[in-house]
Amino acid sequence: MTTVSSPAVRETRKSPLETLRALRADGTLAADYPSVAPLLAAMVSGGAESDLRRAGNLLVQLDRQSVLAARPETETAVVALTGHSTIGGVRAPLTAEFARHGVLVENRLGDFDSYLRDLRDPTSALHAPDVDLALWILDPQTLVDEMGTPWRADDLVRTAERKLAQIGSLATAFTRNSTAALVLNTVPLPRSVTHQLIDHESRARAGIAWRDFNSGLLRLALGNPRIHVVDLDPIVAAGVPLDEPRMAAYAKASLGDDLLAGYAREVAHLSRMLRGRTKKVLVVDADNTLWDGILGDDGPDGIAAATTFRGEAFGTFQRAVQQIGSQGILLAISSKNDHEPVVQVLKDHPDMVLRERDFARVNANWQPKDANLRDIAEKLNLGIDSFVFADDSPFECGLVADSLPQVAIVRLDEEPALHIEKLLADGWFDTARLTDEDRARAALYRTESERAELQENSGSLEEYLQGLGVRVRLTWAAAGDIDRVAQLSLRANQFNLTTVRLGVEDVTARAGDPDHLVLTIRSGDRFGDNGVVGAVFARSAADGTELHVDNMLLSCRVFARGIEQATVAALLAHARATGVRTVHASYRPTAKNRNVRDFWPSMGFASTSTTDDGLRFRHDLADLPAVPAHILLDSSLEGTAS
Amino acid sequence: MTKEDFIHLVRDELDLPLGVDDLSADFDHVVSWDSMHMLRLVTAVERETGTRVPVGRLLADRSLGAIYERVSAA
Repeated sequence: MTTVSSPAVRETRKSPLETLRALRADGTLAADYPSVAPLLAAMVSGGAESDLRRAGNLLVQLDRQSVLAARPETETAVVALTGHSTIGGVRAPLTAEFARHGVLVENRLGDFDSYLRDLRDPTSALHAPDVDLALWILDPQTLVDEMGTPWRADDLVRTAERKLAQIGSLATAFTRNSTAALVLNTVPLPRSVTHQLIDHESRARAGIAWRDFNSGLLRLALGNPRIHVVDLDPIVAAGVPLDEPRMAAYAKASLGDDLLAGYAREVAHLSRMLRGRTKKVLVVDADNTLWDGILGDDGPDGIAAATTFRGEAFGTFQRAVQQIGSQGILLAISSKNDHEPVVQVLKDHPDMVLRERDFARVNANWQPKDANLRDIAEKLNLGIDSFVFADDSPFECGLVADSLPQVAIVRLDEEPALHIEKLLADGWFDTARLTDEDRARAALYRTESERAELQENSGSLEEYLQGLGVRVRLTWAAAGDIDRVAQLSLRANQFNLTTVRLGVEDVTARAGDPDHLVLTIRSGDRFGDNGVVGAVFARSAADGTELHVDNMLLSCRVFARGIEQATVAALLAHARATGVRTVHASYRPTAKNRNVRDFWPSMGFASTSTTDDGLRFRHDLADLPAVPAHILLDSSLEGTAS
Repeated sequence: MTKEDFIHLVRDELDLPLGVDDLSADFDHVVSWDSMHMLRLVTAVERETGTRVPVGRLLADRSLGAIYERVSAA
């Protein structure tokens, strides 16, 4: 290579789209599928949304089987689509948006306007057992085509009510007949509908009826955890047109390509959420990200996050970051600065919204940022793939993207007024519902540093654990615990012995079944209460003489303090006291849970078999493990663990 | 807009592997062509040229060459 700065050389450097096209031309795209996600990520973070659209057109033509043949480990998803109008335009963006998350999607498109048949017929493709997501795409014509002509506001009121009731009953029936998640969407109100009514009174009534229809759809999702509603109004409000009138007229495409692309992005994040791949940490840069200016050059008096035009925009961004943090996403700083001045700014700079207590880690130093992200992940005991990184420097974003492709990058630029839009453009932090533990998470992690201090001052691990004063409370899961237990089942990756993910419905069903046992593990210590940190799923078999532990999981915040041992000791004591003779347990390996492979043997379980699906163990209850001496156990189960 | 620009646009926007010869071929002989392709092509041409193309009249055309003639006349 010659000089890198010459324009001629720069021109020959391929854009991510050109690289993707070259892979296709070389016939190596299937084998190189793992390189697709980083290329698409580079298009998005580089602001080349139109290239992402072109990439979708390319990827939708890629043969899935050839990818799976070359890369059998590729994560896959099956999406079935139905609707009233032409929705084929969503396939390419869906393919691209899923590919951004490394997921190879199969789109199954129903016939034009076949939604009633698709939903009513339990043998339709929409009901196929391997479907992960069923997308029922609603558009304005779904209502308009049933109003008749000429129409009055009353016709719209009646049609909207009737249609909502029909959608509600078809959707509910679908969730009974299928295991897929059903995805509906709100329908933006077209001006071409309201303004066909010339009197303001009718227009107001029509507007109310239309919003009631959308509100009713959103309520369906509140009432049924298997129904999800993508709200299209915010996408339209951000300036994406509802349709392209000529495509609507000539091709019956009632929702425009750009709106379907925005919809596809939301659906891909929804799929990610359902797979438990939610991001948990937001790492932000400081200079020109949190405040205007460079602390090292300008000094604390020269930076601003209030009072000036630009400063206020940074302050608004800080409030958005704080808002994300208030909902259980851990915040951290990675900044190229000396540590002390950054901490000082967070402590006493008058402009700051975010303070030291808002951050789980402040890494201000001169090491490369990828190393800092790894360090933060290690200190928080969280996977680096649960990280989002926001920085205004293309260099830092590029470095992290190259070195840690599993980190989601939010590339900010020199315009702070656009920081929030960029941060929220992707639903990285989307979660089904928040629990009390989420709202308290930042405080829980803050006490971690106090624990770390105790550990440093303790001579040995035993001494530390003695000083910690760990309390464990084991109880049957009550109605109020269901959300948190389901969430743990989706979030926990490291201490998750079989990684069987259970949603709210599954947990509710098990908790209500007398043959099943759903236990919650709560813990606390002298620094505070940790809340619900784990769960055990088990079921009784062979007339109550066997207990099968389906899964046990524990939040990564609290491993290795004896909580897991105390839980199993109490569980086995309970089993023996209730007439169980054998307890069965298993371990199913994933990329994340290798550390707990030997957990069951360490608790006195004997190995019975090793299969492709994992390891199986049994305990004959002759010799019960002891509760670790430093743990104060409070168990509402029968049997006393000693 | 030259023929080459037009072909480039078809390739770039629709990801259809077309050669200049395909301009005169009937749609039935061009890979998986449908009316959505036509409409997307038109919006792409409009983005490129800043001129509105009368779509309704294009729909009856049976070849890319005919579309190109109308588009370049618009």
